[in-house]
Amino acid sequence: MPAMVSTSQPVQQSFNPYTENGGTILAIAGADFSVIAGDTRQSEGYSIQTRYAPKVFRLTDKAVLAVNGFAADGNMFVKKVRQRLEWYRHAHAKDMPIRAIARLIQTMLYARRFFPFYVYNILGGIEEDGTGAVYSFDPVGSYEREACRAAGAAQSLVQPFLDNQIYFKNQTPAPGTAFPKHLPLSTVLPLVIDSFTSATERHIEVGDGLEIYIVLSKGSTALQGLQTVRGVQELTATNDGERVFVIRRELKKD
Amino acid sequence: MDHFPTNWGRPRNDAFDAYGTYPIHQRPQNGPKDAFVDGVQRTQQPIVTGTSVLAIKFKDGIMMAADTLASYGSLARFKDVQRLFPVGDNTVIGAGGDMSDFQYIQTLLDGLTIDEFTAQDGHTLGPAEIHEYLAQVMYARRSKMNPLWNALLVGGVKDGKKFLAFVDLLGTTYSASTLATGYGAHIAQPLLRKAVEGYENVLTEEQALKIIETNMKVLFYRDARSLNKYQVAIITEQGVRISESKTLDTHWSFAEGIRGYGAQTQ
Amino acid sequence: MFLTRSEYDRGVNTFSPEGRLFQVEYAIEAIKLGSTTVGIRTPEGVVLAVEKRVQSPLLESNSIEKIMEIDTHLGCAMSGLTADARTMIDHARVTAQNHAFTYDERIKVESVTQAVCDLALRFGESVHDEEAMMSRPFGVALLIAGIDELGPQLYHTDPSGTFVRYDAKAIGSGSEAAQSELQDKWHRQMTLREAQLLTLNVLKQVMEEKLDQHNVQLAQVTPKGFEILNEASLKEVIEAM
Repeated sequence: MPAMVSTSQPVQQSFNPYTENGGTILAIAGADFSVIAGDTRQSEGYSIQTRYAPKVFRLTDKAVLAVNGFAADGNMFVKKVRQRLEWYRHAHAKDMPIRAIARLIQTMLYARRFFPFYVYNILGGIEEDGTGAVYSFDPVGSYEREACRAAGAAQSLVQPFLDNQIYFKNQTPAPGTAFPKHLPLSTVLPLVIDSFTSATERHIEVGDGLEIYIVLSKGSTALQGLQTVRGVQELTATNDGERVFVIRRELKKD
Repeated sequence: MDHFPTNWGRPRNDAFDAYGTYPIHQRPQNGPKDAFVDGVQRTQQPIVTGTSVLAIKFKDGIMMAADTLASYGSLARFKDVQRLFPVGDNTVIGAGGDMSDFQYIQTLLDGLTIDEFTAQDGHTLGPAEIHEYLAQVMYARRSKMNPLWNALLVGGVKDGKKFLAFVDLLGTTYSASTLATGYGAHIAQPLLRKAVEGYENVLTEEQALKIIETNMKVLFYRDARSLNKYQVAIITEQGVRISESKTLDTHWSFAEGIRGYGAQTQ
Repeated sequence: MFLTRSEYDRGVNTFSPEGRLFQVEYAIEAIKLGSTTVGIRTPEGVVLAVEKRVQSPLLESNSIEKIMEIDTHLGCAMSGLTADARTMIDHARVTAQNHAFTYDERIKVESVTQAVCDLALRFGESVHDEEAMMSRPFGVALLIAGIDELGPQLYHTDPSGTFVRYDAKAIGSGSEAAQSELQDKWHRQMTLREAQLLTLNVLKQVMEEKLDQHNVQLAQVTPKGFEILNEASLKEVIEAM
């Protein structure tokens, strides 16, 4: 047998259709509001591609979707969800309720079970009964409704912080008292900002800018406090009662 | 019976599912099948490649530059290749990566421009539309596991709005006031950001040209797959200007005195 | 009309010079031969009632099925060629289930009605090279009853694929008399009980035989869901008339 003949099978270097674009998203549900936030850095490896690429999108006046993972898949996914929402409006003459959007996202993700959209989705908004809602998904469509969720590059930094501050994990209430079931917006907003400033400090893929979307249910008491917040901007499009706001903040750029 | 109206037939639009209940891409395909589909080869690696493209915003529009080299591996194979391509009246695209794929993209865009022109419907394709089109093409091809192996910059001015954005073989897109592909993303991008960020509406054409020239020079010295011949495209409200190839004033003589890196013979 | 047959009688999708589709009009005629069917909407829910023509004493009357469930919140009564209704209700059921699967919510009454009507217009059409999926229009009209976020609703569909919402509607052979009776008796604040009694009274007036629990069928959609009244409950309502 000639010495130079390779005994192993030929290996083909195949094209990898995925990449990771960093960034982090989170959402927190209150009793009558929901907060959905994400940083605006898009990166690949050690390179910052842009300092402003939104990951959080207003879908309707009661639903906001945050998308994190492979940016190209994320943008395409949001585009397809929006298309389905429009078709739904034409067929059924109403905006899709958030619970229905959550199920739709599952079917859309699972339809691609064997060539997944490499994205982690968090859907926040207001349920038909007026309560604040957060739904979180994995890339192939498993989902559940929760009170809070972080995802993306700094999930491992932010989620434990949220578990401690929202669910009061590893804390014991003072004797004779109980932890609140829902926190007010005035508590939640600083938690969101702190989450991102901290993640920016400790994770290279997080930073540049922060976009915080707030969805208020009809007649939510959180409205007064929100209107005094610096730089808040309203995005509400209908007169249904729910209201959507966005707050933009700078994050460190290093 | 087939309960999915999307499958029912002629008067229905194939792309529109009135009930939104059917995973459209899984719809049974009734059209003719390509018998040789399994024998078709797809691009798994680039062959003849171009390196970095740089682009910045300046006061009057967008400036883009790319050298004229197309390499075959480490061989400098073609030394007078155009990597900047005008599309319509307001847009230039610049390409790194596989040059044959880029030339195919040029034919796609030529077709698109002709269709748009013959329609005579008062619409003209601006940089944003061309970028969106390219993003859809690139993403569709990556989803078929048959990518067009390029990183593209799309720059232009339309209706008083400057536009500069990126799209690559994965369909990844983004926009910023300075962009660079390939090696330039690592070497030139930090320098460009320092020179341009915050001055997008201040920099004159001369200042912008100077920044571009400096960065092309840096890339020539640092990127082994680059050349000291390059073209510059300037896109303003007035239209597109793509320069003849310019030669950089570069010298390797300084390297004569360098000692200490790698094996030395003396 | 039937005596002056023309070449436009043959094609199912050819307009006559006066702009009519004869086969569709004939299909609508076919419904007028069907058994009388009545539906009434009230704020508490929707009631559906049908006459069952028991042609022979040997016939098992409970095997005649003219009211069917589409989903837990949707029901349907028919008149005309009831065999055709099977195809339509099958489609309505799949559409409703598909909606629940994809959106985790109950489909709206109007949406399911629209889906059925989309199907009704598919005669004479074919998909690419395949056989036409239907050769003629459906010969049946439906009363679709249901409750959704807009409250209790009653829809009427006919073979032309047209659908309209009604407060009260009668179809079938006795529909003309029945409809004018409904117009007299229906009022906005009707209770479900009153609606049950009214449907049966209307049927009684247009039926040839004496009405009993064997030759009528009664169903309702309330916030609890769709339900066909069993013989005992039906008998109780009849006795209360």
